[in-house]
Amino acid sequence: MIEYHKFELENKLRVIFHRDVTTPMAVVNTIYDVGARDENANKTGFAHLFEHLMFGGSANIPDFDGPLQRAGGESNAFTSNDVTNYYDVIPAQNIETALWLESDRMLNLAFTDKSLEVQRNVVIEEFKQRYLNQPYGDVWLKFRPLAYKVHPYQWATIGKKVEHIEEATMEDVKAFFQKHYNPSNAVLCIAGNYENAQVEDMVQKWYGDIPQGEKYLRNLPVEPAQTAFREETIERPVPADAFYYGFRMPGKQDERYYVADLLSDLLGRGKSSRLYKKLKKELNLVSEISAYILGAHDEGMLMISGKLNKGESFERLDEEIWRVIDEVKTHSMPVEELTKIKNKVETTKVFTEQGILSKAMNLSLHELLGDANGVNLEQGHYDAITSSAIQNYALERMVKTNCSLLKIKAKEDAR
Amino acid sequence: MLDRRIQPEVNTLEDISFVHPQHFDIKNGIQLHWINTVADDAVKIDLVFDAGSRAEQPALASFANSLLMAGTPKYSADELHARLDGLGGFFHAETSREGATVTLYGLRKNIYALFTLLIEAISEANFPQKEVDQLINQKQQSFKVSSEKVSFIARRLFTQNVFANSPYGTVTQYEDYAKITQEAIQAFHKKHYLQGLQKVCVVGDLDPITIDEMISLVKPMVGELATNFLTEVENTKGEFRQEKEGAVQTAIRIGRILFNRTAEDYLKFSVMNTIFGGYFGSRLMSNIREDKGYTYGIGSGLAEMRKLGYFFISTEVGKDVADKALEEIKHEIERLQTELVSEEELSLVRNYTIGQMLKASDGPFAMMDRYLGVADFGLDYDYYTQKIELVKSITPEEIREMAKKYLKWEDMTVVLAG
Repeated sequence: MIEYHKFELENKLRVIFHRDVTTPMAVVNTIYDVGARDENANKTGFAHLFEHLMFGGSANIPDFDGPLQRAGGESNAFTSNDVTNYYDVIPAQNIETALWLESDRMLNLAFTDKSLEVQRNVVIEEFKQRYLNQPYGDVWLKFRPLAYKVHPYQWATIGKKVEHIEEATMEDVKAFFQKHYNPSNAVLCIAGNYENAQVEDMVQKWYGDIPQGEKYLRNLPVEPAQTAFREETIERPVPADAFYYGFRMPGKQDERYYVADLLSDLLGRGKSSRLYKKLKKELNLVSEISAYILGAHDEGMLMISGKLNKGESFERLDEEIWRVIDEVKTHSMPVEELTKIKNKVETTKVFTEQGILSKAMNLSLHELLGDANGVNLEQGHYDAITSSAIQNYALERMVKTNCSLLKIKAKEDAR
Repeated sequence: MLDRRIQPEVNTLEDISFVHPQHFDIKNGIQLHWINTVADDAVKIDLVFDAGSRAEQPALASFANSLLMAGTPKYSADELHARLDGLGGFFHAETSREGATVTLYGLRKNIYALFTLLIEAISEANFPQKEVDQLINQKQQSFKVSSEKVSFIARRLFTQNVFANSPYGTVTQYEDYAKITQEAIQAFHKKHYLQGLQKVCVVGDLDPITIDEMISLVKPMVGELATNFLTEVENTKGEFRQEKEGAVQTAIRIGRILFNRTAEDYLKFSVMNTIFGGYFGSRLMSNIREDKGYTYGIGSGLAEMRKLGYFFISTEVGKDVADKALEEIKHEIERLQTELVSEEELSLVRNYTIGQMLKASDGPFAMMDRYLGVADFGLDYDYYTQKIELVKSITPEEIREMAKKYLKWEDMTVVLAG
């Protein structure tokens, strides 16, 4: 159970405070309600590029990192398809430096052409390093457009292509800030050894005078129901054939999100999972295989992916994967197996809640989704899941017409 | 009225409080270390074995390590993993040149059952041929995947030349995997695991009786404390380039053999390194990422081993700017060797370093790492006090001196792959 105190400023900034008396450190976590899904389809990769620019100096402070480091702190950020999250970890007695910096960049950025040009280059190098300059690097750039036809999840946070980043202009940057970076589109979470009143005063002091801004109302195209199996094969100079099966699954607000998560564990998390035991250990068809969810606020994907052993065919693999899935549909899973999966979820939860940073991030994310207390309800969602819920889910969702398959075929002349 | 242009007052940090683990003798001077100040049900246990890869057939140590849960005469790998998972446990094993660590994560309620299972699996491991064959295949495949990455190519070339003509410089080749036999693994296991336990570290709110029982369980695996670590080696100086067709980036690794934290200059060197490439605001990052945009990231560090260490600079840059990046790296070294660091930059690094020490000592799991960070080198917590003092008192002249003494370009091994 993560305790917290919640309040809201007049400018609609939602604030969560988590008190932890055991740590000498403090966390200031800011989540903005904007991700790659909010981008224009012809200007993708923007939310992430913007995240980089947020470190380029703000209205009254020329440099973000220097003063924070001077106070013994450190900062970083990430962008997902759904949100952008910034965090500072700093010795507790110096938290005001973090609030000073974060509030100033919520107030306004100091945009310079130089900063935009450099960060464009940095992001292009990031694009190359992660997505282009390694085998299987471009998988998600290929898979997403196959699985999503209209929803903006069809592109990855890095963007559809390098050109979109190269073409980003100063006008785009300014407009993006105006639209998304203001108190009404943010949740601030503070964690550390303070009193409620102390936190309220500090937050009021640094954030109270920031104009509320306009609340961004999201109106994304809804992905129509999938009615037919989708499949694409691409050839790449890679050492082994690889496969990526994606099954559409409910978004984070739906109870069945948790069912999908447990089902993915049953199928392919770890060495006692069904796909691993059958396809790798027993049949020796694959060198690796796993199942997991790409959980998202809107409809996500339950993935099964891996690599084929040399000489094995995609056809045989497909047959065996469906056989394992059909087994879930036709036979209720044994109680011990369900308990096993739930026990692993419980352990994972306890370990991810070590330390104030992950607690602060989770509280912020849940508050953005509607209620910070959601973080304390997660385990209950898992506990309530029955064997028949998993079976029913599989019957409904783990079907060919709900599936997109990307195959990567190793080019013969690979090296 | 709030003046947003002025940074709030920065308070210098108070002392860091260190928790001492409790020590229990197992046998032959080999100990179990226990920190019990955990507020919830989380328990982490590390078993350290003298089962590193040095002075052994390539890949053998990693095979034995990867197959510790691959079966016993009584249970198959599937059954062992089903039991582990059923108890909500997570198991992680890894090797380095100088040792192997097996880590168990679990909750209080199941931890003794998990520990018993782990010890049973390790002490009765029989390495079935089928498991060995599958692992050979798997390692061969991931080797092929890694070989496509410039970072992998550069790292190997760097290792070979930094640890030139020493067992630490051996890198596994594709052909090595097929040479691994069940017999060799069994012999390695017998020597390095069954009689190779070096220490046990437990972090968790457990009953002292449980700790006693754990000690009884591991006692048969205790061996002698390992001593045969590499003490001296010289890196091959000069530049090594490897072409990689189709690469859009070049991986750069630059470095040299140096010392570890037992050396007199270590602390001074590490402050100099922080300024050079050791944090986000470092000279390398400011110049090569934040000013030039040549890379997504660049950094430098000092990797420590039991008896020595090596300095390294590591980055991936656009292929077309690789030589320019190299020039800028050289330029930043020369600046440190000729100019004095400003008091402003130095005071930032002082505060940053101490703040990071505080963060790295936050919580019982981090505290065990702090303990091992000194105990493995024969030091004690005084080391951290000395570090804080040195960070506060080091002068710009001393920093320049460190750069002059240890960052001579002609002493470096320079590797480019791309």
